[in-house]
Amino acid sequence: MMNIRRRTFCVATVAAVASTQALAPRPTRAQQRFESIFMFIPAGPGGGWDSTGRAIEQAARAAGLVGSFQFENVGGAGGMVGLPRFVNQRRGQANALIVGGSVMVGAGITNTSPITIRDVVPIARLTEEAGVVVVPPNSPHRDWASLAAALSTNPGSVPVGGGSAGGTDHIALGLILKALGRNPREASYVAFAGGGPAQAAILGGQVAAGISGYSEFAEQIKAGRMRALATTGAERIPGTDIPTLKELGVNVTATNWRGVFAAPGITPAQRQALIDLITAVHATPQWKEILAQRAWTDAFLAGDAFAAFLHEDIAKTETVLKDLGLA
Amino acid sequence: MRARRRRDELAFALLLVALALLSLWQTLSIPVSPIYARVGPTAFPWIASAGLLVFSLVLLRQALGGGFPGVDRQKTVDWRSLGWVAAGLVANAVLITTLGFVFASVALFACTARGFGSQRPVRDALIGLGVGLAAFLGFARLLGVNIGAGVLEGLL
Amino acid sequence: METLALLAGGFATALSAQNLLFAFAGCFLGTAVGVLPGIGPALTVALLLPITFKVPAASAFILFAGVYYGAMYGGSTTSILLNTPGESATIITALEGFQMAKKGRAGPALATAAIGSFVAGTIATAALTFFAPVVVELALKLGPAEYFSLMVIAFVAVSAVLGSSAVRGFAMLFLGLVLGIVGVDLQTGQPRFTFGLIELLDGIEVTIVAVGLFAVAETLHLAARHRYGEDELLPLSGSLWLTREDFARSWKAWLRGALIGFPFGAIPAGGAELPTFFSYYIERKLARRPEEFGHGAIEGVAGPEAANNASAAGVLMPMLTLGLPTSVTAAIMLSAFQSYGIQPGPLLFQTQSDLVWSMIASLYIGNAMLLVLNLPLIGLWVRVLRIPRPQLYGGILVFATIGAYGVANSVIDLAVMYAVGLVGMLMKRYDFPVAPVVIGMILGPLAEQSFRQAMTISQGDVTTFLTRPISAAFLAIAAALVLAPPVLRAHAASRARARSSP
Repeated sequence: MMNIRRRTFCVATVAAVASTQALAPRPTRAQQRFESIFMFIPAGPGGGWDSTGRAIEQAARAAGLVGSFQFENVGGAGGMVGLPRFVNQRRGQANALIVGGSVMVGAGITNTSPITIRDVVPIARLTEEAGVVVVPPNSPHRDWASLAAALSTNPGSVPVGGGSAGGTDHIALGLILKALGRNPREASYVAFAGGGPAQAAILGGQVAAGISGYSEFAEQIKAGRMRALATTGAERIPGTDIPTLKELGVNVTATNWRGVFAAPGITPAQRQALIDLITAVHATPQWKEILAQRAWTDAFLAGDAFAAFLHEDIAKTETVLKDLGLA
Repeated sequence: MRARRRRDELAFALLLVALALLSLWQTLSIPVSPIYARVGPTAFPWIASAGLLVFSLVLLRQALGGGFPGVDRQKTVDWRSLGWVAAGLVANAVLITTLGFVFASVALFACTARGFGSQRPVRDALIGLGVGLAAFLGFARLLGVNIGAGVLEGLL
Repeated sequence: METLALLAGGFATALSAQNLLFAFAGCFLGTAVGVLPGIGPALTVALLLPITFKVPAASAFILFAGVYYGAMYGGSTTSILLNTPGESATIITALEGFQMAKKGRAGPALATAAIGSFVAGTIATAALTFFAPVVVELALKLGPAEYFSLMVIAFVAVSAVLGSSAVRGFAMLFLGLVLGIVGVDLQTGQPRFTFGLIELLDGIEVTIVAVGLFAVAETLHLAARHRYGEDELLPLSGSLWLTREDFARSWKAWLRGALIGFPFGAIPAGGAELPTFFSYYIERKLARRPEEFGHGAIEGVAGPEAANNASAAGVLMPMLTLGLPTSVTAAIMLSAFQSYGIQPGPLLFQTQSDLVWSMIASLYIGNAMLLVLNLPLIGLWVRVLRIPRPQLYGGILVFATIGAYGVANSVIDLAVMYAVGLVGMLMKRYDFPVAPVVIGMILGPLAEQSFRQAMTISQGDVTTFLTRPISAAFLAIAAALVLAPPVLRAHAASRARARSSP
């Protein structure tokens, strides 16, 4: 959920050879399913989508599922610069994948792009991250009830900091206000460019509360420099005792998910082959290891089930963005 | 001569006025959502474009009335040299997407050298090829910075 | 004392043969990419991320730190020699540096930049070693309202040094502000000035405009005046090294630059560029011969170069003490921590003490290494200026193209750069200053966002800028900058009158 999407670090094709070969002794060789995979990252190197793509490579190559990977990064505008390029250049290509997620759903709607996430073929959702609502340590709000009361009395008097307008953080706040019976438009949402400035504003008490992906704030919470009041996932984040909004009686779940998609124009058989590949990658021990190391939450959902989820997610996001006046 | 200088400056002032009007027009077309009425997305664009308009109008008046103050050197333009360099830039922009980075560099390098009076186009083209290749190999290959695919780049 | 022991431990790790090699590789790579406009340390560190699969954490971070510092050195070299700023933090360096090079004084310009970077980098690293937590706590006291007031000081300072004509200066400042608006608005997500082009949604890259205004414009301008032999570079004259006078004029600028640059690194707004503007302004105000500014004043190179290296160390301060990235490069380094399974945050100094201290030790080493690497290179670099004009300018344009095109493979970026170059040529012809455009473009968006963030926080109350004490103090300084010169002039005039009419 690194929100830094400036084009400063964008296009870079790194030959697959350079980046892999790290994991020395190959474990039991599974059957190789693809000779090569073309992996398109609609963001610059180093962010969440990039690391998702490279984690797939790491696991698939270690397990011998794929011969080689080729990467292309084209960043910008929440994936909206890269997506049209992928759709146009890779149409019908059976071994091409693009990484995407909730940020792309929202960006497509707010930018009114002609080409959106609907134009690629859903393969699988891989990970998700719940958001967390925090307050500065010296805040008068000791618990969620207190903050919720302030929000439902006068949302305008509670400035909440997070990522760019219309992004996942803003949408989560919109959903919360709606659940509290207020209009999302009444929010005093303060958008910051990226995790650094947002954290600085919360730590310094410049805003009353903050909302973002859990990993953004996790260390500050552990160190006691931010107080976590609630998380936005369906269940508690493992290893923490922060209640979910649902437990607290607010019927909201909002997570930032990431997954992979295929190029438009492929046959159902080709689509199935890619679904099988990602399912196999998900089953490798290496993938489990990566999930644990990066503290990603497993949210595997493949094929038609994922397509149905996506459909629903788009509809939900569209409604909130309309409520917020951003769509 | 004086009239000619005034005409030049007039053109530049008009260019700035046109830019200001363009940005005013673009400001008008920014959609404003009701939630951010406090200081919306159009406030700063208004200030910036209005400021540009005001100062470019002052410049226009200066240009009409005898020219920008303090700019007194008479400057004739060497159109042939400028033309060669400009042609190099255009060729580069056109070729970089078709023939690729290396050939685009050759064209740009040779045209620019010609514009600055070099009379040996073949030698310049060869130097351009060397510079382009070195840059491509250094940055694209060693570092992985993508500077575009093309005819020659595909072979390397 | 405990700090010193920890630092010594850090040196023990950083001085191993392998890590010295990584430091060297980082410095070398950093210098190389710093030279290229558009391609900077952020992209390079991102491209090197896969290395985290292969080498121990300490080595990887030593490499990254080398890249970060090296880029600041490399960026200044091309600013001075070719009028092509490699990084946005070295744009100001081009103003005086290139004028010095034109007068045959490229050697001293490069030397003062390199030594200044070393001095400031080392001072800032020492400050990082001992004072990081204190400075970061102070930086956190600043919010959007303070950032905005700080930008106001910068705008006022800039207008005060605009050049020969206030009208032309302000016109260019507003042009820069307009260019800065292009892209998606952070606060509302609305596209502005994008003409429906998705390539413009993330805005126009500052380095692309800067290279257009400096390198492309200079080349076009000289081509347009080719037959009339204007503005020829003078051959190198005098020593390549700093004269006694150069040194006397440089050292205070280095120290002031270090002092200005370091704290700015900790602020998540304009960290690297803002201090170079302030340093330039202060040097110009304090200079014994301010009339030399614009014609190759060595203080104008020494100060900003010291400031940008000091701010690079400053950026590491909130990153290491709080896990706060205040620049794009820092954000990418943080993601490298994560791929080692290390969560950067307030506990980093405790949980990863060895790693952090060897990284800090490597900063001292990297700085010394860069000085040793760069000083002898000056003799080599200045030979670039001996290349015959036709080939030199051909090379400059090819070089500018690699940078602009390499960032995003976008022809639109190239077209913007060339178009800006054309406007820049006209600006040169009619004596319009270049700096206000770049400054407006860099600071305009920051000022706008800070203003709106502050207004949202205060629920639309404008007085927030005056009721918050630090913000009010900044605005008072800005007001003083505007009011002081006329008042002082009036005072001097009345005294002169008093003397002349007995």
